[in-house]
Amino acid sequence: MIGGAGLLLLLAIAALFGGAPLALVDRRLGYAATFLGSVLLVIAALAALDAGPFTALSWTGVVGEPEALHLDALSGFFALAAGLVWGATSSYSLAYDTGPGRSLAVAYALTLGAIAVLFSTSDWLLFLAAWETMTLAAYWMILEAVGRPLRIFSAAFVFLAFGEASTILVALAIAGLYDGTGSFAMTSPIAGPMVSVVFVAALVGFGLKMGVAPFHMSEWLPIAHSSAPSNASAVLSSTLTLAGVYGLFRVVALLPDGPSWWGALLLTIGAISALLGALFAAVSEHAKGLPAYSTIENNGLILVALGISLIARSDGLPALAAFALFAAFFQALAHAVTKAALFLFAGDVERSVHTLDLSRTRGGTKAADPVASGAGVLAALSLAAAPPLAGFVSEWMILEALFQSFRFPQAWLQFTGLLAGAVVALAAGLVLVAMVKFVGFAALYRPVRPPNAERPRGLRAPIAGLTVLVAALGVLSPWILTALAPTVSAFEGARTAAPVGSLLAIPSGWSILSGSPSGFFGIISPPALLLAFAIGSLPALAYFALGRRGAERRVPAWSGGRAAPPPSETYTSFGYSTGLRLMLSGFLGTREVRRASSPGVSAEIATPLSYDVDLEVLDVFKSFYDALVRLVLWAAEGTKRAIMPGRIGRYLTYILLTVLVVIVYVAAAFPGP
Amino acid sequence: MSRPGWTEVAAGRPPGSGARSLAYVSPEGDLALWNDHEEHRTLLVRRPELSAEERAVLGNWRAGRSGPAVVSVGEQVHGYGVFTFPYGPVAMGVAEAGGFEVRTYGERILEIEPSVGHKRRGIEEQVVGKTVEDAALWIERRAGPFALSHAAAFRFAAESAAGRPVAERELGVRALGQELQRIYNHLHVLARLAEAASQNVGAAQLNALAESALRALGATFGHRWGFGALVPGAPGRRLDAPDRTDLEARLRRLGSEFEALGETLLGSRTFLDRIQSTGTVSTEDALRWGAVGPTLRASSVAWDDRLRDPTIPYREMFVPVVTERAGDALARVLVRREEVRGSLLLIEQLLDRWPRLGGGEAAPVEAIEPGRGIARGEGPSGDLVYDVRVSEGRIRSVASRTPSQANWPLVALSLRGAVFTDFAFSFESFGASFAETDG
Repeated sequence: MIGGAGLLLLLAIAALFGGAPLALVDRRLGYAATFLGSVLLVIAALAALDAGPFTALSWTGVVGEPEALHLDALSGFFALAAGLVWGATSSYSLAYDTGPGRSLAVAYALTLGAIAVLFSTSDWLLFLAAWETMTLAAYWMILEAVGRPLRIFSAAFVFLAFGEASTILVALAIAGLYDGTGSFAMTSPIAGPMVSVVFVAALVGFGLKMGVAPFHMSEWLPIAHSSAPSNASAVLSSTLTLAGVYGLFRVVALLPDGPSWWGALLLTIGAISALLGALFAAVSEHAKGLPAYSTIENNGLILVALGISLIARSDGLPALAAFALFAAFFQALAHAVTKAALFLFAGDVERSVHTLDLSRTRGGTKAADPVASGAGVLAALSLAAAPPLAGFVSEWMILEALFQSFRFPQAWLQFTGLLAGAVVALAAGLVLVAMVKFVGFAALYRPVRPPNAERPRGLRAPIAGLTVLVAALGVLSPWILTALAPTVSAFEGARTAAPVGSLLAIPSGWSILSGSPSGFFGIISPPALLLAFAIGSLPALAYFALGRRGAERRVPAWSGGRAAPPPSETYTSFGYSTGLRLMLSGFLGTREVRRASSPGVSAEIATPLSYDVDLEVLDVFKSFYDALVRLVLWAAEGTKRAIMPGRIGRYLTYILLTVLVVIVYVAAAFPGP
Repeated sequence: MSRPGWTEVAAGRPPGSGARSLAYVSPEGDLALWNDHEEHRTLLVRRPELSAEERAVLGNWRAGRSGPAVVSVGEQVHGYGVFTFPYGPVAMGVAEAGGFEVRTYGERILEIEPSVGHKRRGIEEQVVGKTVEDAALWIERRAGPFALSHAAAFRFAAESAAGRPVAERELGVRALGQELQRIYNHLHVLARLAEAASQNVGAAQLNALAESALRALGATFGHRWGFGALVPGAPGRRLDAPDRTDLEARLRRLGSEFEALGETLLGSRTFLDRIQSTGTVSTEDALRWGAVGPTLRASSVAWDDRLRDPTIPYREMFVPVVTERAGDALARVLVRREEVRGSLLLIEQLLDRWPRLGGGEAAPVEAIEPGRGIARGEGPSGDLVYDVRVSEGRIRSVASRTPSQANWPLVALSLRGAVFTDFAFSFESFGASFAETDG
């Protein structure tokens, strides 16, 4: 019998998918349906977290396996994160999507529906079907770039290629699970010799969707290079990658305690992703490329936390294992919400100033909408781990978990943990540079142009709403973690308590403890921090409130004793991160490219030589894939020339040979009476 | 008008095809000087024909005559994220009223254009109609640290225009003053470089040495910068035996302190790291853009006007000409260091022969016949040219080409591709002055 929560889940999925046909009638109708579906999904997910797992619908599948749509604490958590994000992106899309066609809305609704099914299925076959639907629908969304310049197809193809590779590996992992358990159910634990194959296949397959190194171009390239619509970018970057995280957690939950190299592998991939993502975010000039790189960093952090947890679990450190898991889940939630806010803000930048080049945005967003701009700043601050926002709490928890890698029994694991900790800390520093650059040039820059009158209304509320959520997640993190306890318990298969407690005068339950069996290791209390901030800033607020009026004096900006500087003298965001480009040229492969933009003149010096200069950075992984593509194209071309030279005689020979083979085969296989 | 040792060419281009650099072009364009580096001589060409490159060189010398302008070496850089960073004209780090327009994408200087002409006083225009003696007082105030080289070159030009010989004793006074001022300037440049490298002890000691050079100048000529030192009848010009003994003692002390300090400074790794291969000027660029002085000599071109132009009795003394090959800031530092030693040696020789120098006290120049004179001299930062017309005892026109004007394009070229922090090391090593440029 379908219970209330089950009905809500069914309605949610129906509304999300129903958005697609409705969008064919009217784009706004489609988005309204997905908004409704998102709200229903959030309620259903909250029910699953609160009251335990429920099944909405069950039936028997095509190969006789039991199929069901249900939510448990684990999938409920991911559905909750996704639903929160989609609620904002759907209402945002109502104002944002003013393009000529309706197909973006259709693809958007299909993507959301597929991900919702993916979260609520209880067996691997339907999971795989949803996974593939999600990939194809997302591919369609990426194709819906404004104006569709031809070059974007290559970026969309890159997404599709990585997506299909991911599907193949996920299918491989599922086959391994089936081989070990004889069942497609998501609840059957696996043991035996295949576990390592399943683990690696799942890690690579889901890692491809998370965009972690060395597959990170599957994340940034479609977003940065194709200028995919911003509502699509938000969905891709925060919830499509979340689907990858969910899949990985699902598979890992079924695996037994593995060898320690599993965790070490996760740590390594995660740390490298974090560093790469942070580094390229810091030098990115694209208002959507920068957050996309930051997604790579954040997903790397999730892998790091999971890695610590796996190592701790197999080495008999349950407290650390649980703490790292809480960190991983909180990081996934914080990142999904924050990154969606940042992408929506990037879309606002796009609509306000008609450019995504950070060196050209020039504070247009602040002029257009100071509230949305402030929300964007807050979201970026959270990603830069500014207390007491959500990003700060998750970053702190992950670093605290890494600090405790000295508890690992083997020296090489301690060393790996230490190294990963150093790399993650470095990445956190670089992300700070990236986010300061993003908010500085996109949001805080003194406006030099009047606001764009065509900026659609209604962009503000979703961004602001998500940002309020970001702040609330951070400040209320001890209670959020307590609410996450069922999810972590579901993952661990054992009752796990949230790492909250008390210290000094801070009330019990207000603090997060990075605990150990023998007491706490580190402690932080975001609500107390907020209180301290509030009280500490009272004198300053009072001073400004009372004394500032009338004391303000405005003078023209100093420009070396000359008149007001021309626009060509404004500092650029490119300049802001050139220091990094030059200092880390070994990592970034920085090189300066000069092209003569006027014909070279040597005889007549009066017309000077003019150059276009560009300081390019190079991603070694991208050049590897480029080389791979060139190799495949070369091999394909060679094969084509060898066997299809375009001569009729050769083709007739092929036909005759085929007929001959068929006759021989038939004669041999089916002897006459 | 041509001076002893100059070769005069009738019209057009200077003969030959060897290495040469443009040294001066008169405002009317009727006369030009070239340095012939093959034959080591000055070529004077009437009605010269300038190539396009030489016209660009000339344009830079004249930049800033009518309001602020930039010195450009003919390249423009554009690109995403590239912006202009205005440094000056009122900025920390540039001691004078002059600036730089830096094209950059951050951190690295893609292109830099010195911005000159912000504080032009028009001294050359203002002295027209004055007597030569009055005009000389204006001219030497063009740039304090270079007062004596300007005063000397101007006086030589005016005397040449008036067709008047200069007494040996007067030549000695001018040589002595210029060498003392050279010592001060080189010490000052070294101190600025040490300051830029945060070699605070070294900088303080070099500044103290530079101050003692200024005091020696003041004790000898009655003015720290040598203002009025060359006026006939000015105090301190007789240099009696006790004065010479005092000066010798001062310079001996300065010399020994400088030797020790130079060793320490050039033994400092941190200092060398900052100036080595910083601000490199190639020989080709130096010749093409008409570099002068230590800048030219540090790029392996052995040109010193004290050897070419025998107006001051350098011919009879040992003049060490120092060259370096690298063309970087370190090379310019080494050249300046050797030139401090060389100047000390020159002054010693000069004081030795002081009692034997003939001729009485100099008399004011009073030209009755219209005449024109051109003179060159080797100032601390390079050679300078004065082109003076006189008639009836009054100045009719003054034109000049100063070492700073000649060296700006090299300052700009040397900084291309450098990072911001190299700026001070390259800029200071040239000893270029905005006041001298603006006039």
